[in-house]
Amino acid sequence: MNSGPLLFLGLFATMACSWTGFVLAPQLQLGGLAQTNTVVVGDVLPQTYPLAQPGEAHAGSEVYRANGCAACHTEMVRPLDLGSDIQRSWGVRRSLAEDYLFANPVMLGSQRIGPDLANFGQRTDTNGVYLRLYDPGLITHGSVMPPYRFLFETRKIGFFPSPDALVLPDRDAPPAGFEIIPTEKARALAAYLLSLRQDGYLFEAPPPPLAKTNAIATNAVPAVKPAAK
Amino acid sequence: MNVTVSPAPIISPASSQSQKVGSAASCPVGMLTLFAGAILWLLCASLLGLTTSLNFHAPTLLAGHGYLSYGRVHAAQNAALLYGFGVPSALGLGLWLLCRLGRTTLAGPAIVFIGAIFWNTAVTLGVGAILCGGGTGFEGFEMPAWCAPILFLSYLMIGLCALLTFHQREPGPLYPSQWFVVGSLFWFPWIFSTAALLLLCVPARGVLQATTAWWYARNFDTVFLGFAGLASAFYFIPKILGRPLHSHYQAALAFWTLALFGSWGGMPDGAPLPSWIISLGVVGTVLMAVPILTVATNFYQTVREDLNTLDADPTLRFTYVGLFFWVIAGAQQIVGALPPVSVVTDFTWFGPAQKELFRYGFFAFTVFGAIYYIVPRLLDLDQSAWHPKLFKWHFYLTFFGVLISYISLLVAGIGQGILLANTGNSFVDVMRRTVLPVRSIITGDLLVALGTILFLINFASVLATACRRCCAERKESA
Repeated sequence: MNSGPLLFLGLFATMACSWTGFVLAPQLQLGGLAQTNTVVVGDVLPQTYPLAQPGEAHAGSEVYRANGCAACHTEMVRPLDLGSDIQRSWGVRRSLAEDYLFANPVMLGSQRIGPDLANFGQRTDTNGVYLRLYDPGLITHGSVMPPYRFLFETRKIGFFPSPDALVLPDRDAPPAGFEIIPTEKARALAAYLLSLRQDGYLFEAPPPPLAKTNAIATNAVPAVKPAAK
Repeated sequence: MNVTVSPAPIISPASSQSQKVGSAASCPVGMLTLFAGAILWLLCASLLGLTTSLNFHAPTLLAGHGYLSYGRVHAAQNAALLYGFGVPSALGLGLWLLCRLGRTTLAGPAIVFIGAIFWNTAVTLGVGAILCGGGTGFEGFEMPAWCAPILFLSYLMIGLCALLTFHQREPGPLYPSQWFVVGSLFWFPWIFSTAALLLLCVPARGVLQATTAWWYARNFDTVFLGFAGLASAFYFIPKILGRPLHSHYQAALAFWTLALFGSWGGMPDGAPLPSWIISLGVVGTVLMAVPILTVATNFYQTVREDLNTLDADPTLRFTYVGLFFWVIAGAQQIVGALPPVSVVTDFTWFGPAQKELFRYGFFAFTVFGAIYYIVPRLLDLDQSAWHPKLFKWHFYLTFFGVLISYISLLVAGIGQGILLANTGNSFVDVMRRTVLPVRSIITGDLLVALGTILFLINFASVLATACRRCCAERKESA
């Protein structure tokens, strides 16, 4: 191996191997991925999946990106036989390539210092997001998440109190005559987090089969066992 | 594989002793800028790392400031370490090895200097932008979109000089370090341009962004940094011990298998991808055992008669400890990729532990070793220009700092994985129970930061000695 050109040629070939396998081939297989239909579950008809991200949610994904939320939160649920993701009710099914069709940038993350957020939109509401951002320990006692107070504004109550003002317990309450309202960034981030839901059952991840019983069929909704947190 | 190594009596670095390359006359400013910038960025990364660790002690302390929030500082720390420290030190090391082993002088030293200035400016702007919220959201590729082209062009300026330096080498057989340097310098522009194109310019569709980012991060660490660090080890260990490398065949085997398999993988098991991609990644990672074992046996055979002199020289000490960490980090990567293990350790502190050991323990250590050797020679000084006490403290502080951080992260990672596997433990409870080892990382970070400050002082004093001597010579001649 004493010839420069030969060395370059060999390096080019090995590099090309890796590039073909991990960049080109996935592009060929998944690059043309398009919206699809969910599978029929019970009497729910197939629906288009996934739906495009609303504009405000996209703006929120920029806030998520800018603040590096993906350093502590993943956005992917592993299959039932891999880890305890589904048992922790972070999702009803594994995440699929289709789930991220409209996300840009796609921030799957690599570490969980906080819980997975792939289906966060199913677990909370706007107020819940605001409280978690303002003081994470309020809802999840003992949380290690730092507060994101710079996404909120403390301002003097005007003629009327703002309808958006956070309702906080004593430990976080603003001084008398002041209120804490979410900034535009917090609103966008909340819209993004609430848009996170991977709930369509697809061909690759069908709903779990119903247990076969000899009981007489009824229209009643089966009782759902409360999931472990 | 087209390996055409002629057998044993190839040049060994021990034979190129009298050559004086890149002495003061040939203006080593470019290389010195690369090294000085790298050390400053390493310190910067350590301080940013301290800030992130602080979050686990007092989460509310930095809550009021967006630019000090955990996510941003974490990304900035990564960027400072990889692009501020990693790339310039790999370049400086590579250029010097190409000069020395090719028995030639640096081609285009002025272009290297300008490239280094541009690179460091771009990194400064980029890290600042990340703290202001401009990060890309991709781990390992944090630099904002406008910054990437500047980085790429300044890399090309320096890389081109490296290529010319390699081209004008004296004819003769190539030494393994030259393969590794050429490999690492060639790898970076390709992966960087692929990532910039598919993540920033024309963003790939959906989850393909994630595969590209994972692939990039794996290649950056394992191949780019790995090749650069190994190039240094392959040169300095035989050189300073004064005995030839045990086997060039084994070095070639390690080189090609590392290039081939080290560039595969990085996708976590269970990621929303077709499973063949993940499986291929696991296969590649497990096959990394071949280069790791080959390098380990090759070096063992080389040094086994000098085992008690390994501590004698600063360069030697840093390099062999770095190599040792490389083997451990590689073994951890392989074990962590095996499906029964990865199901427990994925997404925990286990991954960051491996990265800490690889980037600080292996790469930074080999670079330290190389700088202790290279910089006095660039300035026409001898090894005694370094303050021995500062060296000693630098070594012990960084060694124990890295070790403390690594072990804490490893314990936290394994603990988290095992506790999370039991659905009876709530997530927040697991985080609370594993926060103690995570908190102790700050001790490691502190030691590493202190060590780096000492190194910086030592580096500055060597530069000052050279300056003083240069001034005195000028006065004499005037």
